[in-house]
Amino acid sequence: MNMMISMAWRNIWRNKVRSVVIMISIALGLVAGLFIMGLYEGVLNDRLNTVIRQEVAHLQVHHPRFQRDYEAVFCLDSASRLVERIRSLENVQAVSARTVAPGMLATSTGSAGVQILGVVPVDEDAVSGLKQKLIEGEGFKANRHNQVVIGRKLADKVNLRLNSKLVLTFTDIENNLVSAAFRVAGVYQSTNAPLEERLVYLHAVDLNRLMQMEDACHEIAVLLNRDEAMTTAEQQLNRLYPNLLIENWQQLSPETKLMIETTDTYSIIFIVIIMLALMFGIINTMLMAVLERTREIGMLVALGMNKLRLFMLVLWETVILTLTGAPFGLLLSWLLITHLGNSGIDISSISGAAMSGFGFSSLIFPRFPWSSLPLVLYIVCITALLASLVPSFKALRLIPVEAMRQ
Amino acid sequence: MDTIIDAHQVTKTYNPKAIPVVAVNDVHMHIERGEFTALVGPSGSGKTTLLNLIGGLDKPDTGSIVIHGTDITRLSANQLIDFRLRNIGFVFQAFNLIPVLSARENVELIMQLQRAPKAEIRKRAAILFDQIGLTDKMDTRPAQLSGGQQQRVAVARALASRPQVVLADEPTANLDSKSASNLLDIMSKLNREENMTFIFSTHDQRVIERARRVITLVDGKIASDTARVDTSHRHDVQTNPE
Repeated sequence: MNMMISMAWRNIWRNKVRSVVIMISIALGLVAGLFIMGLYEGVLNDRLNTVIRQEVAHLQVHHPRFQRDYEAVFCLDSASRLVERIRSLENVQAVSARTVAPGMLATSTGSAGVQILGVVPVDEDAVSGLKQKLIEGEGFKANRHNQVVIGRKLADKVNLRLNSKLVLTFTDIENNLVSAAFRVAGVYQSTNAPLEERLVYLHAVDLNRLMQMEDACHEIAVLLNRDEAMTTAEQQLNRLYPNLLIENWQQLSPETKLMIETTDTYSIIFIVIIMLALMFGIINTMLMAVLERTREIGMLVALGMNKLRLFMLVLWETVILTLTGAPFGLLLSWLLITHLGNSGIDISSISGAAMSGFGFSSLIFPRFPWSSLPLVLYIVCITALLASLVPSFKALRLIPVEAMRQ
Repeated sequence: MDTIIDAHQVTKTYNPKAIPVVAVNDVHMHIERGEFTALVGPSGSGKTTLLNLIGGLDKPDTGSIVIHGTDITRLSANQLIDFRLRNIGFVFQAFNLIPVLSARENVELIMQLQRAPKAEIRKRAAILFDQIGLTDKMDTRPAQLSGGQQQRVAVARALASRPQVVLADEPTANLDSKSASNLLDIMSKLNREENMTFIFSTHDQRVIERARRVITLVDGKIASDTARVDTSHRHDVQTNPE
């Protein structure tokens, strides 16, 4: 076996230029594939972070009927006690109680349908980083009533500025229509344009008063200190509050979950396509190598090399040729992705608006797809094995006495 | 005497459906162990074809070839490969050493294919290189060896598996006189010392003069079969039935 591998290795270097070219092709193919995977992973990781740390958090607690009907009456009573209890659980980093009301925003120049969230500013900052997203104003100030924080998209749409007045109309807990005037205390910007246009934040005290809800909320968002703790925390909450609806981010944002699952598949399909293209290059190279050595192969069979050994010799050559290029491709990919992962790729000038429209940041930080690496290496090995079949069978079909005449 | 090759009514025709060329025509031949035989004849007389048939590289259309008790015409392709590995040594006109292996590795390859123990492989290779006088060139690649040296390595490779028969197709054709003479000395010495059977096709008068039996082929048939006791005495032992 050692002699076979040694022969295979030396055979590869008979035509150095040809072998190096195919190794470079394999390396570049891997770089292309892994870079695309890294890009996808970076985008999705960023999106996932946004979903968890800016939008829905890891877990949410609702009245079982609230998500279905969105009626104010389906609220969680004794919200402050509930929040304190949840905050004391293991792995819980921050908790924010939200009062939710679909409503209409009106100004002197226009109107828009909005989702009103009544929040405790400090808690909401800890869960969704509301304060960090402010690009204008300082947000909610103590001892001031009827302040509102709106998104930049909404502000542009209805021509609102800092300190502008607006009227919000919504229904209270008894289904009465309530209208109240608010002053813009801050404008926030997020990577999710649709949310930026829809979500407006009020102080929970103001909204609860107007909706006649005392110490109640519709939604409790729970942010954990690590993603892996989600299942345990979810089970714990389900045990503690069997009558409430506990949902994780995958249930709250199924489109994100679907995106992660399908993008993994797309990445693999992409790698497979690249490897298929490379496979034909490898087959071509190995066929040339076999045809150039027709006489030698005939001689080996004449001397007594059996078909299995001959097959293994060509197979080893193909596998070594392929796998020699692979480490360079992996190293190059890692260097490229790590570098761009630190500096980021700004695509705002190309498709920033489109990315934002789907809730993605236009500054992408690719991440090396470590989790997919075993699968990628498996695909490379399969490519090598499949590519070896054609030249191996070609070698097996040679008839020694005819091969030696060439 | 111990018969090592018994060829009976062997015929081989190329292009049987188009323009048939009878390369070997009803050949009967017996070779005893330890013979040093030359197959001679003009180009196209069937020397190489007969060697290929005896070596199991080609199959005859009719007849049988029994080598050391095995009728090789009845063996499958895979069985033939194994038979060649264990019973036949080949020396080719163009040396045909594997360029990416050193001289020693070329010789050892055959024994590795036979799955011989490593220590035995090393020992046998050392002995053979000593016999061919190339101990100092064992780790040299074929491209760095002269034609004569390459052919000596090819002889060592042919002998490595301790075959029943060594078949050499025009072994001196690409060699100068000195190298050819040197090679013949070695082959003749190995023939005597290891009692190994050598059959070689040749046009080379120097080789013919060193052979102890000369079989002449004309148009695929054995025209004469002459054995010599030594270089000064010859006598016919058998002629072709026709």
